[in-house]
Amino acid sequence: MKAAHFEHHEPSTVDEAVTLLDDLDDPTILAGGQSLVPTMRFRLSQPDDVVDINGIDSLDYLREDGDHLRVGALVRHADIERSALIDENYGSFADAAPLIGDPQIRNQGTVVGSVTQADPKGDWGSVLLAHDGEVVARGPDGERTIPADELFLFPYETDLRPGELVTELRVPVSGENEGSSYHKLKRKVGDYAMAAVAARVALDGETIADAGVALTGVDITNIPVPDAAEHLTGEVPSGESFKRAGELAAEASNPEGDEHGSAGYKENMVRVLTQRALADATERARGEGPAGSYGTDQLTVGD
Amino acid sequence: MTEKDVVMTVNGTERELSVEPRKLLVHAIREDLNLTGTHIGCDTGNCGACTVYKDGQAVKSCLQFAVQADGSEITTVEGMEALPEAGMGDSDLHPIQEGFKQMHGLQCGFCTPGMIMAGKALLEENDDPTDEEIRVNISGNLCRCTGYQNIVKSIQYASDVLNDREPPESPVEHEDASLETAADGGEPTTDGGETASDGGNPATDGGCSCSDGPDLTMDYPTGGEDR
Repeated sequence: MKAAHFEHHEPSTVDEAVTLLDDLDDPTILAGGQSLVPTMRFRLSQPDDVVDINGIDSLDYLREDGDHLRVGALVRHADIERSALIDENYGSFADAAPLIGDPQIRNQGTVVGSVTQADPKGDWGSVLLAHDGEVVARGPDGERTIPADELFLFPYETDLRPGELVTELRVPVSGENEGSSYHKLKRKVGDYAMAAVAARVALDGETIADAGVALTGVDITNIPVPDAAEHLTGEVPSGESFKRAGELAAEASNPEGDEHGSAGYKENMVRVLTQRALADATERARGEGPAGSYGTDQLTVGD
Repeated sequence: MTEKDVVMTVNGTERELSVEPRKLLVHAIREDLNLTGTHIGCDTGNCGACTVYKDGQAVKSCLQFAVQADGSEITTVEGMEALPEAGMGDSDLHPIQEGFKQMHGLQCGFCTPGMIMAGKALLEENDDPTDEEIRVNISGNLCRCTGYQNIVKSIQYASDVLNDREPPESPVEHEDASLETAADGGEPTTDGGETASDGGNPATDGGCSCSDGPDLTMDYPTGGEDR
């Protein structure tokens, strides 16, 4: 089916985009479009005005800057996949990127677009939560930052206000003693997660100084598991401590059973995946060299 | 609703179009440019039959609007034969196309244009991929006939050609004579003799002598052009 008629706006600066978003009546922002274009074609959304931000070159950056890793609004999933910076220090990003959609989708779809779409099965929301990240939004009243744990309200609903444009997401810089990972259970290559877990571990000597655990696809939004993070902090990494964190994550999850698995099964998977993700994150925190060289290869297809 | 002017370079030729913003890139390619080699399979972004090579990467042309392709450079399956790599193998075809032909990488052929473009994107980045890398790379392209085995072999074949290695023998026995008649628009036949002598074009000798198969003397509707 064809999309309904719309007006296509192409701002070339953030200021221009914010002015447009303020002036127009209920506009829609187009970034990668890999979810938006199909929903428009099926007329699930029929915006009169589409503000296409792909021409705003200043939003296309991926860099460490001061205290943060900053991911601009035009960074594609494939950019994350190919980034040496990500491969070196951000295991959870490196794990998640190649598990999203397929190569063509990853070439177009953006990380920020995926986060702001707030699909409870979206992968990046959990990565952002596990890293205690935030998004930066520009609106008619200026700029504000929204912490990840205040961003996701309901499926496809965020704390963003009408007229606001998310210009970047950022997470605290991953130090040498920090590691992270993302473990995703899916039925086939390119599928959404049945359940997935993002984990981050920062070590101080032998003990865990800080941790983050967040879940995909097992509640109405991506959710953090502060209980697990709290339990891990101050512990020496061990099978026992990861097991307890897994139990806490499973308790925090609230999955729905469907044709692919019962709620109990998914809860159990959360427990298992949390342990695996924590083990990988810890190995990466301790190890030297690129994060990508530690951990499970979840991309393997066939034998 | 206002139309927008879009300029894109398709298969090396600059094309100017005036399109409604809601028009998908795949519709612009198929209907406005009449390049119907790019297919629409699923209409949802799953199947990859609409894959084109845009600004150095494979994208699904049903998942973006034509206005988003303004200023871009696009290669479709029709442009493969004009690329510098074409002719490196045993034919004038691009090595990937030749691979699909030689290794029987297609049955119904519907997914093939998308597979070829996904294969091109992979080989541009890595001209000597492993089987697994090929499989990951075509994970956005569905084939309901082949079971993928021969598609992987076809792309591997192209990799062999690009790397100056001897590609494997085709598992398919085809006589060159009948293949050539097929390329001329005639019917490939199994007996070989008759087609070889008369050039295989029934239109020139007053009608089709065969009892089944399409009537090659009539004009079949091509679609697209009249819209």
